[in-house]
Amino acid sequence: MQANMNSGILRRYRWKELGLLVIPFMILILELVQLRFAQVFQSQITVISQPQQSIPINTAILPSLSYLIPVFGLIVALLLVNLLLSIFFPKADQLLLPLVGLMSGIGVLMAMRLGPQVGDLLQGSRQLVWVILGLIICMATVFGLRNMNWLKRFKYTWALLGIILVAVTIVNVLRVKNLNSPNHDQLNFGPLNLQPSELLKIFIVIFFAGYLSENRDLLTEGNLRIGPIRLPPLRTLGPIMLMLGISLLLFLVIRELGLALLIYGIFLCMIYLGSGKLMYVLSGLLLFVVLGFIGFKLFGYVQIRFSILSIDVVNWQNWSLATQDFARNGAYQIVQGLIALANGGVLGAGFGLGHAGTFVPFAQSDMIFTALGEEFGLAGLFAIIGIYLLIIYRGFRIAIEASDEFNQLLAAGLTSIFAIQIFVIVAGNLKFIPLTGLPLPFLSYGGSSIIANFIIIGILLRISYNTAMEREGLA
Amino acid sequence: MTLDVFLFILRLLFIVLLYLFLMQVVIAITRDLRKTATASENSTNQAPPVVGHLIVVDSGPSNILPGTRFDLSPQTTIGRGPTNSIQLVDNFISSEHTRLWFRNGLWYVQDAGSTNGTYVNNQPAREALAARFGDIIQVGFIRFKLAQ
Repeated sequence: MQANMNSGILRRYRWKELGLLVIPFMILILELVQLRFAQVFQSQITVISQPQQSIPINTAILPSLSYLIPVFGLIVALLLVNLLLSIFFPKADQLLLPLVGLMSGIGVLMAMRLGPQVGDLLQGSRQLVWVILGLIICMATVFGLRNMNWLKRFKYTWALLGIILVAVTIVNVLRVKNLNSPNHDQLNFGPLNLQPSELLKIFIVIFFAGYLSENRDLLTEGNLRIGPIRLPPLRTLGPIMLMLGISLLLFLVIRELGLALLIYGIFLCMIYLGSGKLMYVLSGLLLFVVLGFIGFKLFGYVQIRFSILSIDVVNWQNWSLATQDFARNGAYQIVQGLIALANGGVLGAGFGLGHAGTFVPFAQSDMIFTALGEEFGLAGLFAIIGIYLLIIYRGFRIAIEASDEFNQLLAAGLTSIFAIQIFVIVAGNLKFIPLTGLPLPFLSYGGSSIIANFIIIGILLRISYNTAMEREGLA
Repeated sequence: MTLDVFLFILRLLFIVLLYLFLMQVVIAITRDLRKTATASENSTNQAPPVVGHLIVVDSGPSNILPGTRFDLSPQTTIGRGPTNSIQLVDNFISSEHTRLWFRNGLWYVQDAGSTNGTYVNNQPAREALAARFGDIIQVGFIRFKLAQ
C-alpha cells in the first residue's frame, strides 16, 4: 500500500517543472559567485589604480559556502513548492513556477547587488524574505481557493475592498501633503511600507471578471442606438464605469499616472475580452486620448513628463543650455538611465560591475530595467523580456483552456495586468512613453509588488489545476 | 588566467544559460501544444456523442412536461442563458445553473453558482459529485432522473 502510494506520487510528480528549475538554479548560483568576484575585482582595482595590470585568481577570493546561503534558501523554497504542488496539485501548470522563480531570483540578486550602492546593505535579505513570503502566500492562494465561484459571488465585496484601499491611500496622501515625493502612495505600518495599489489591481480584475461574465449577453447585444453606433444599456455599464471613474479620478488626484494607465488598460482589455467588440476598445481609446489631453493641459507635472520624450539624447553634444539644464533637473532620472543602458552595450558590463546604482535615481525600483540593461546588456534584456513573454503566453493559454467564462476572464485579466505593467514600465525606462512609477513584476525591489504578483500566479495555477481536473476526471 | 578574463567567461556563461533556459521552456511548450493538438483532433472528428439522458420526473413550478427527455453530451451545461447546451426557461433557474460531465463511466455534477442550487439525491452539489444512472438530479426546483 505504502509502496503503491509512493509510486503514485512518483508517477504524478511534476518532473517537467523540476527539470525546468535546474537551469534557473545554476544561473542564480553562477550570478552570486560572479557578484563575489566582481566585488573583489573592483576593490583590487581601486587599490592598485592601474586597470591594465592583471589580477591573478587565487583560492583566497573564492566565495565560502556561507556566502551562497541566500540563493540556497531560495532554491530550497522553490523545491518545496514543487514538492507540495506535486503532492496536492499535480496537474497545475508546470511552466509558471520555473519562469517566475528565475525572475524573482534575479530580483533578489539585483537587490543584494544594488543595496550597498544605494546605501541599504540589508536590501537583498529583505527582498529574499519577501520572495519566500510571496511563495508561501502563492501556495496559500492555491490551497485556499477551493471554489472559484466564491470569488465570483462576492464580486461587489472585492469592489468595495478596492474602494476602501483607494480611500485609505487618498486620506494618507492628503495627510502627508507631499505629492512630489516618489513614495507618497505608501502606507507606513511600522517598518512596512505597503503599496495598496498593488492589491487594488487584483480586486479590480476579479470584480470586472465577475461582472462581465454575468452581464455578457447584455453587453454584446447593445440596445441603445446613436446613429450607426450601438451602445450597451447604460444600466449594465453603470457599476463598471463607476469603479473605473473612482479609480481614475482618485489616482489623478494623488498623481499616480502609472496606476491610472494600468487600470484603464485592464478595463479596455477586459471589456474587449468580455464582449468581443472592437468598437468599445476604439471608443475607449478615443476617450483616453481626450482625457489625456485634458490632463496634459491641467497638470504641470504631466507636461514635464511628456517634454522629456522630446530630448534627443544621442545628439547630446549639441544641446542648448536650456536642454542641458533640463537634463540635470527634470529629466535627470531618464537621461541617467539611458546613459546606463548605453554603457551596458550588447553583452553588458557584467553582474556587479555596472554603476547604475550610484548614478541612476531609484535604480533598484522604478529604474531597475536600466540597471539590468547595464549589467546584463542587450542580450540579457532580450532574454528577460522573453521570459516575461512566456509568462504572459502561459497565462493566456490557461485562460483559453479554462472551463467557464468567469475563469477565462479572470485568468486573461490577471495576465493582462502583467502585460500592461511590463509595457508601461519598460517603455517608460526607454523614453518611449512618459515614465511612471510602476514596479517591474518580480524584479523591482518592494514587498507589496512581490506579494501581489505571487497571488496572481497562485490564482493562475489554481485555474489551470481546476481545468485539468475537469478535463481528465477527478482521479 | 586573470580575474577579468574569468569574469568575462562567467558573463558569457550566464547569457548562454539564460537562452538555454528559454529554449528549454519553448521546447516544453511546443511539445505541450502538439499533444493538445492531437487530442483535440481526435475529439473533433466525431460530433459529441449522446452518452445519457435527463428525464423530467417532477417539473416543480415550471411548465416543462414531466417525461421530457434531454440528450446529454459528455460536457453539458444547464441554465437559463442561451449559451447552455440545455436551456431551461424558468424563473427559478439561474443563467448558468449546473454543469455535468462524463468521465470513466461516471457522471459528475456540479453547481455553477446558481441561486437555488443543484442536488444529487438530495445532496447539495456545490463541489463536484459523482452520479450514476438512475440517480435523481434536482436543478432549482425541477427534478430529473439520470438515464442511459
